[in-house]
Amino acid sequence: MTLRRSILAATAACMFAWMSPHEAIAQAAFADVGKQPPITILINSSPWFGGFEKIVQLYEQQTGNKVTLDVTPFGGMLEKARNAVRARQSPYDILNLDTQWTIEFYEGGFLSPLVEIDANFALPAEVLTFQDSNFWNAERRWRTRDGGKLMGYSPNGNVHVLYYRSDLFEKAGLQPPKSWEDIAASCAKLHAPPGMYGYVHRGERGNAVRFDWMPFMISAGASIVKSPENGDFTVTVNSPEAKRALETFVDLGRRCAPPNFGVLGQGDLIQLLATGRAAQGMAVIAAWPSFEDPTKSAVVGKISTTVVPGPAGAKPGIVIGNWHFVVPKSSPDDRKRAALAFSRWFLTAGAQRAYAEGGGIPVRSDTFTSDLASQPKFRWMKAYIDSQPFARQELGFAEGAQVEQILGLRLNQAVIGEISAARALNLAAAEIEALLRQSGRRTGLLAPLAE
Amino acid sequence: MRAVAARDDGEIDASARLGARLDASFRFWCLWPCIGILGALTLYPLLQLVPMAVSTIVFVSGESVWSFTPRRNFQLLIEDRVLQAAILNTLVFVVVSVAIEMVLGFFAALFIACLPRARPFARTVMILPILIPAVAIGSMWKLIYNYDFGLLNQIVQLAGFGAVNWLGDKHLALLAVVVVDVWHWTPFVFLILFAAIESLPRDVLEAARIDGASAWQTIHRVILPLLAPALAVAALFRAIGAFKAFDQVYLLTAGGPGTATELVSLHLNRVFFEQNQLGYGAMLALTVIALTVVTILSGRRALARS
Amino acid sequence: MAPLAGRSVLIGYGFLAAAILFILGPTLWILLNSIKFQIAIFTGAWIFEPTLQNYIDVLFGRRVDLISNIRNSLVVAVLSTLCVLAVGTLGAYAVHRSYASKLVARVLLAWLLLFQMIPPLSLVGPWYLVFQELGLYDTLTALVLTHIAINLPLTMWIMLTFFREIPRELHEAATIDGCREFQAFRMIMLPMAMPGLVSAGILAFVFSWNEFSIALNLTARGSATVPVAIAGFAQQYEIQHAQMAAASMISMLPALLLMVFGQRYVVRGLTIGAIK
Repeated sequence: MTLRRSILAATAACMFAWMSPHEAIAQAAFADVGKQPPITILINSSPWFGGFEKIVQLYEQQTGNKVTLDVTPFGGMLEKARNAVRARQSPYDILNLDTQWTIEFYEGGFLSPLVEIDANFALPAEVLTFQDSNFWNAERRWRTRDGGKLMGYSPNGNVHVLYYRSDLFEKAGLQPPKSWEDIAASCAKLHAPPGMYGYVHRGERGNAVRFDWMPFMISAGASIVKSPENGDFTVTVNSPEAKRALETFVDLGRRCAPPNFGVLGQGDLIQLLATGRAAQGMAVIAAWPSFEDPTKSAVVGKISTTVVPGPAGAKPGIVIGNWHFVVPKSSPDDRKRAALAFSRWFLTAGAQRAYAEGGGIPVRSDTFTSDLASQPKFRWMKAYIDSQPFARQELGFAEGAQVEQILGLRLNQAVIGEISAARALNLAAAEIEALLRQSGRRTGLLAPLAE
Repeated sequence: MRAVAARDDGEIDASARLGARLDASFRFWCLWPCIGILGALTLYPLLQLVPMAVSTIVFVSGESVWSFTPRRNFQLLIEDRVLQAAILNTLVFVVVSVAIEMVLGFFAALFIACLPRARPFARTVMILPILIPAVAIGSMWKLIYNYDFGLLNQIVQLAGFGAVNWLGDKHLALLAVVVVDVWHWTPFVFLILFAAIESLPRDVLEAARIDGASAWQTIHRVILPLLAPALAVAALFRAIGAFKAFDQVYLLTAGGPGTATELVSLHLNRVFFEQNQLGYGAMLALTVIALTVVTILSGRRALARS
Repeated sequence: MAPLAGRSVLIGYGFLAAAILFILGPTLWILLNSIKFQIAIFTGAWIFEPTLQNYIDVLFGRRVDLISNIRNSLVVAVLSTLCVLAVGTLGAYAVHRSYASKLVARVLLAWLLLFQMIPPLSLVGPWYLVFQELGLYDTLTALVLTHIAINLPLTMWIMLTFFREIPRELHEAATIDGCREFQAFRMIMLPMAMPGLVSAGILAFVFSWNEFSIALNLTARGSATVPVAIAGFAQQYEIQHAQMAAASMISMLPALLLMVFGQRYVVRGLTIGAIK
């Protein structure tokens, strides 16, 4: 215990040395934004918040402009954001929105497009926009750069990666998995309940099971609706490909996950990985700090990441869960400009590098390809940037929240074995079609699956 | 003599009038502050629910746009399959939780009142659970119920049985949620009943003892009837609270597995808050209130008959 | 209450022991969690390295202002409890003594219950708009006012129940002797209803202290209360159990201290009430 602690203390000291902001300043360029009125940002406590807090302090140090962070519990973020935009004057100048909430705010006209605040504002080319989720085309009601206005930018992106125990894999002579079949094979070798589960993903009702099923669905070539970006909302969630994907999902869970995988949430999954009881698991990149912290993890240094796979020979399908910084329309003009000034500064290479070093997830691709990625502390960066070409937004339309509720229930019922996969998808398809028809979309159904 | 008497009458009149004014002023200050606060703060939210319930509300260019759609909302209500499961689960949850809490709370209050040596320690311990915020209680019990590492399964496995899937088994999940509610809210019932027991008139109890009544008879024939008003208040407010229970259930199971622990409060939260359906959500809220009223009234009738 | 005798004593102690075990068990478990590192909580370990780091993080860390949250919670809870006891007791007395017509009394009591049934979700939206317009967003005033409103139903109903238990003759005797209404109230009725007042006060304080939805929506960092701070540990992907346990332990202290020190006053109040 003492030897381990002194090694960890030494590592921590080195990390602190690396995190010194002065180093970062010397290395890359920032931006001079001038004197600005104080702004308030609505933000939530999260693993990457520490990094953001450090970068805000750096901004205040460099420019003398004041930024107040209203740190709100995650469960209260949406309500506070809604209250802020529906009031006559918003108490916040930048809102932090989860990607599935943005459609509501875009459609409701609550936000100021960034070029309307400052016509010269443009995102640097290196900034990731996560499939154009930062743009909104009001006529097509779709998030796209084509004819769309820039509404904000992401302070971080979150994708799922596959975490696996590199020490166990080495011992068993296994390669990091590249397909669901690989996962099933490695699980067969390593699965030894109750001390060790071969592979875990979430099955809890709601967003958890829906989000974790998406990679299976997308990589099998299925989709929820046919072509929403072109206005074609034909429901395709009960296609044969989707059925295969759901059966693989449920099967993997039954064979490799704990018996209660029908109620596993993200916290439970992280707990299984951190205590060393799961050999592999799919979780967000934001969970990385938990595994490297000796007060939170029993597997420090033993976990590695790789891109979430698909079926053998197919391309993976990874869902993006990014956050968005947006500016409310009801904020006063001078504070909007100050918010934009802060954003300009935040998106420079220097700031993004300091952000990464402080524990945040940067949003500039050049930060990921810089020398930072070669440091062991940042070994998650490779899987993250490798996932980007396959990463996509899902449910990017107004009825998304309700579709998620429907899928969240039906998928969960399939997972716990209450109904078959085919029946679950048929029920979900019927309900989604009814919903879309009621809200006036061009929709239709596929032939139902045989149950 | 008569002059003095006349002066006395005048003084008595004046003091009587002053007294009447003081009385009137006291009456005013008793009644109107509470009506004032209720009027100022509660009229608007409660009354706004009704027009919302028959409308569909969308937001365009930052403003809310209302359209009158009572039929659509009503149709949504009838076709809502999750709601039907939720109502059933909620009724079971409310009846079972409140019943257990009333029994446990009553006996705890009774025994602590009768055993003076246990009193200070036991009283302080009994109120501990309501001092903890609901968020913490939900998270903590989720850990206790955890399949792989939880306290309960550790005890169960020590006793030689296999691990139990407390929150993931369709048949156990609702019971698990009830246990948490009982743990959380029995102190509420205890506090009210303890105060009521302490205010019981001594002479009636003495008479019962002298008459040779057994402990059980004393409880059944004497104490319970005397406590009826306090029991009613405790049960009433506990039932209303159980209909509103949200935070701990959400953290424990999110309504799952399937719809096994779906409560109307969870469903309302999903519709009103997550899906942002303000109109239909208001109709659901009114439905929940109606359900609560019906349950309480039928509960009262059932108890009156017994 | 008459002391128990014989077998009943054993049943009594047995029941209480079980009840105390049931209640105290999980509470002590939270206490244990608050001195563990997160990994020890995850594994449910009984042999672990104890630490005070969680308490230090929670009290002095940069991310949480628990001390200022406790201060806010104390101010709001104390003020709203005193006010709701005053308004509620007087209101219950008004109903009891029929200071208004029967119809008004019935409507008032029914309205109180109806208001109690509204899900908090439906309240916070309108209240936010109202207080934002009044410029009271992110102030303790808004919280005090709303907490008075939400605790009023229970307070009034409890006090009404206890007032109704007082025999009529006492009040009549007082007024015959020349007491004015408020003198009768202060000298006779209120002391007799003291147990009700104490329990209503404790409940109002505890409910205000632990109230979450309204506090979340009407406050920002400056005026946030303890439940909002504790909810901050339940993050999007994980729950920081260790810090949450430490914060919960700290959160229990003010009410516990009030109970322990208030015991003396409580006992006196209860004995006064018992002398009939």
